[in-house]
Amino acid sequence: MANVLVVAEHREGKLSPTTLELVALGRALASGAGGAVKVALLGNGVDRIASQLAGYAEVVLVQHPLLQDYSPGGYVQALEKVREAADPRVVLLPHTPQGYDLAPALAAAWQAPVVTNCVDLALEGSTLVATRKILNDKLDVQVEVSSDRAYVATVRPATVKASEPLPSPAAVKAVDVSIDESRLGARFIRFEKPQVQDIDIAAADIVVSAGRGIKDKKNLPLVEEFAKLLGGVVGASRPLTDLEWLPKTRQVGQSGKTVRPKLYVACGISGAMQHVSGMKDSSLIMAINTDPSAPIFEVAHYGFTANVLELLPAVIKELKGR
Amino acid sequence: MALPESFGPSLQSIRNVEVSSASPAPAVPLNVVVCLKQIPNPDLQFQVGPDGRDIKRDALTYKTNGSDEYALEEAVRLKERHGGRVVALTAGPKRAEQMLREALAKGADEAVRVAYDDPAAYDAMKVARILAAAIKSIPHDLVLTGVQSDDHINSLTGGLLAGVLGHPHASVVTKVEVAPPAVTAHRELEGGDVQVVQLALPAVLTVQFGINTPRYASLPAIMKAARQPIKELTPAALGAAAWDDFAAGYAFRVRRLSPPEAKGRAQMFTGPVPEQAKRLAALLREKGFYRG
Repeated sequence: MANVLVVAEHREGKLSPTTLELVALGRALASGAGGAVKVALLGNGVDRIASQLAGYAEVVLVQHPLLQDYSPGGYVQALEKVREAADPRVVLLPHTPQGYDLAPALAAAWQAPVVTNCVDLALEGSTLVATRKILNDKLDVQVEVSSDRAYVATVRPATVKASEPLPSPAAVKAVDVSIDESRLGARFIRFEKPQVQDIDIAAADIVVSAGRGIKDKKNLPLVEEFAKLLGGVVGASRPLTDLEWLPKTRQVGQSGKTVRPKLYVACGISGAMQHVSGMKDSSLIMAINTDPSAPIFEVAHYGFTANVLELLPAVIKELKGR
Repeated sequence: MALPESFGPSLQSIRNVEVSSASPAPAVPLNVVVCLKQIPNPDLQFQVGPDGRDIKRDALTYKTNGSDEYALEEAVRLKERHGGRVVALTAGPKRAEQMLREALAKGADEAVRVAYDDPAAYDAMKVARILAAAIKSIPHDLVLTGVQSDDHINSLTGGLLAGVLGHPHASVVTKVEVAPPAVTAHRELEGGDVQVVQLALPAVLTVQFGINTPRYASLPAIMKAARQPIKELTPAALGAAAWDDFAAGYAFRVRRLSPPEAKGRAQMFTGPVPEQAKRLAALLREKGFYRG
């Protein structure tokens, strides 16, 4: 029997949607091995999230004032108790800034094998087989890990379909813990929110985003002109906002905005996972990139293999010329 | 196991320095180890090698991993602010010396290459245990590395290092403020939110892109770095008989590499730019996104 434990992610009273994806993957893994999927919910005053989660799987609930906000040490201490209650063969975390912060800490504490950023997982007997993306998502690699110990794995968000609700809610099992405040590791101090004084690219119907392929800040007006012609707004991939060519508010992707416009045009963006996760649900995606193997073409509907600095002026001319 | 004395003053002697609380400038020197990785240029196209377990490496060009560049710059800036030393550390084949020389030219005081020659090194835990063994022999208050290597995209090595060393860690860091005995770090979460955390030194931080603007090396610095020695650590220097001694107690194996399953791949346009421009403009009109 192999149980799978999903560590729920939540922040400021909201459950992260990727948790329900992990429940679906965990259920598939567990059912193939005669086990069950359970969700560990660690926090303080999170009863509402607990009952929400119970609609999808059995919940092991740990509440403590020192679990109010995430800390790797606090979570590791709480999960030690959950381990006794759930006896997991595999622990699943989302590959998010919290998940990949916690995964190695948990692996170290449990002396557990760990694989991260997986897009698929399978148990073959006692062996964990993980499929991952490497080299700018241009290749897949399958690795296998064999151990008697529990496995820790992080799963890339939005690669698995979220779990359907159960016909009737499962149990919520509360577990008591004592947390040693001197072993929180990185201790939470506060949250800071970005100051917004810009247009909201998430509200636009048309987003034209620029990436490293535009080469120089002086080429930005070209992208702006194209966006304006379509009545759209200009977004950017991370390298451009890091360079401060555009404000952080224009960044599309994991650490920026998630956008779902009617049209998304990716100009000189290779399509790293961090970017794609923020735009892949756009209704229509056009991508311009010189590299035909760029992963952006995996999510785009139409792909143009051209230098954006040559193609955009020609397109603008075509559009204006009639 | 013993390392040359040139690794700088021991941590203990640093800790003994008395600092007046009224002192406006930080006076406690800070020793930083920055872990760097040399990776294949991710803009290249890759092919699976003949044994299916690694990429073809004969025609690759290599570069310093992107976020490691920011970690190095942050390490050098911390040294410039606090005093102390920066040791650039890598585990990799001989070719990685080029990267270490660049690190020296950009402000690292010493460079150490752990001569772990596996060109691919897929087992992050093994690499972390090797690096940790090297770090243990270097006096340090902070260990910095990039948030992820752009070849394997594990976001794992920094956290594992912390685990092996027994230090606290924080990942995805976009701001660092050191005030011994603690360090305050800003962690970047989704949607631009920031989590501010505090850790006791010594600590491990994984550095995110954009935390600073990495400098270019000056020509004199490059010339000087070309003559600086690079320390090489063998398994014996780390108290082991072979690198395999650093494998964690479980079996790890790469089964195969493969091109991604082409699902929902774009309808592609190639050919002369004017032709592609016509098609793109026509599509925009056809789909109703341009009505001019």
